[in-house]
Amino acid sequence: MATPCVRQVVRSMWHFRHINGKSAALVQGILHFSSSRQCNGAVKPKKDELKAASQWKLYGAVCLQRLPLVSQDPHPVEEKFADLLHQLEVERSFLSDHEVRLLEDAERLSRKQEGEFDSDDEDLANQEIITAQDEEDAWEQKLKRFQPALRARGAADEEHSSVGRCLAESLVLLVQRGVEVGGGAERERVWMLPQLPWSPGETLRETAEKALATLPGTDLQARFLGNSPCGVYKYKFPTSLRSESCVGAKVFFFKALLSGGTRPTSEPGAFAWVRKSELKDYLKPDYLKQAERFVLEL
Amino acid sequence: MSSLLTRVVSTLLPRQNAMPCSAAAFVRCSHWFASVLSLKSSPPLRAEPRKKKKVDPRREIMARERLKKRLRKLEKVPPEFIPIEDFITSAKCFDEMRVRSEPRLSFEESERRALLHKEWTVFKHAQHQAEMAAIKGAMEAQRQALEELRLESEELYQAALAPDPGLFPFTQQGPSYTPPLENYEPPEGTYHDKTKVYTQ
Repeated sequence: MATPCVRQVVRSMWHFRHINGKSAALVQGILHFSSSRQCNGAVKPKKDELKAASQWKLYGAVCLQRLPLVSQDPHPVEEKFADLLHQLEVERSFLSDHEVRLLEDAERLSRKQEGEFDSDDEDLANQEIITAQDEEDAWEQKLKRFQPALRARGAADEEHSSVGRCLAESLVLLVQRGVEVGGGAERERVWMLPQLPWSPGETLRETAEKALATLPGTDLQARFLGNSPCGVYKYKFPTSLRSESCVGAKVFFFKALLSGGTRPTSEPGAFAWVRKSELKDYLKPDYLKQAERFVLEL
Repeated sequence: MSSLLTRVVSTLLPRQNAMPCSAAAFVRCSHWFASVLSLKSSPPLRAEPRKKKKVDPRREIMARERLKKRLRKLEKVPPEFIPIEDFITSAKCFDEMRVRSEPRLSFEESERRALLHKEWTVFKHAQHQAEMAAIKGAMEAQRQALEELRLESEELYQAALAPDPGLFPFTQQGPSYTPPLENYEPPEGTYHDKTKVYTQ
């Protein structure tokens, strides 16, 4: 009797090592709980019974990313090196037609001014009325007349609910949900990636797609990247909410890229488009630890 | 008439037999003369006129064609190679007038360049390591997710492993330097394609 109990305990320990952020005491408590439950049960608990005993509620969640629309600002080292490369390229090159023309015009001008200009000698056929310098100035004027859109919008970048903020970085969609906290307390509003409980008869990817489609007040078109989840968050319910059939929940995340959609019309507090560096201001520590692994800022 | 005949005979025949018999006998001696009266029909004159063979015009035509064929073979030139413009160095590159004067780098400048190179290698190395670590972390997270899913249900696990047919071919518009302008009207005009097209 002792050996199978020990074996079960060892296996459970291996499972529970994956629970993140739980204190050692809590883990010990859980170990005692599970081992006593199994040892008191049938003579030799089978693997299926073990699975059925600690069942987890499944959720499908979507990690919707809006990829950057504008290139990143270069790092100071990158800027300096780019300048150096440009300098080297110019030094090692030959003179272009335009530069040759500039030099010739300058030379001709200097000769005119010094009075050594002999109009019979000069090759009048090749001369043009508009000098190269004039052309350059005209081009610059034309460029100045064109006003491109701004790369960084300044204050508008701080508005977390707008999808057009921080064009140079990729953003992730977060929603706020009421989560039941045990002990009779009211629901706590927690920020998380949009998720939906899994119902039997569909794949988890379909659950995630539904989670995105059923977001109130907006319709976002997304492209899902593959059928397999990119990450998982496993957590146990508070002791008061636990039951025989469900101990906790596993949330499987699926990656998707934003491809279009209208602005959300619901209250502004419900959505947030955040950069990876701002995730820590929104998500709970355990959740954040898992989410940071698959949200790439490359 | 007979005197003429005698004279003809005497010139034609050799004078071995001097004149034993008379002219008439002479005439009858030779087989050339079938009858006395029939004259002046030598074999070449008696033969039928040569008929023009029908094959001849065809033979001439064929001879002409053979000559033409030989001419054409000589004229056949192998097709010229299409020039690859990238491999042809333009004459402007060999123009000595276009060479820039070599810049004289001060000691500080060369030092600065060398140090900047080193800074760059360190920066890029760190960037690469960070990228590799991030990708590895993401892959590990996915592997753990699939592991957890397998523990839950084999069916869902197999569904997750199935390939997604709608994913490829995958296209995504990359970032530009400035975002697109709203209500922008591009200038009117068409492109004229001036690429040189060579045919062999």
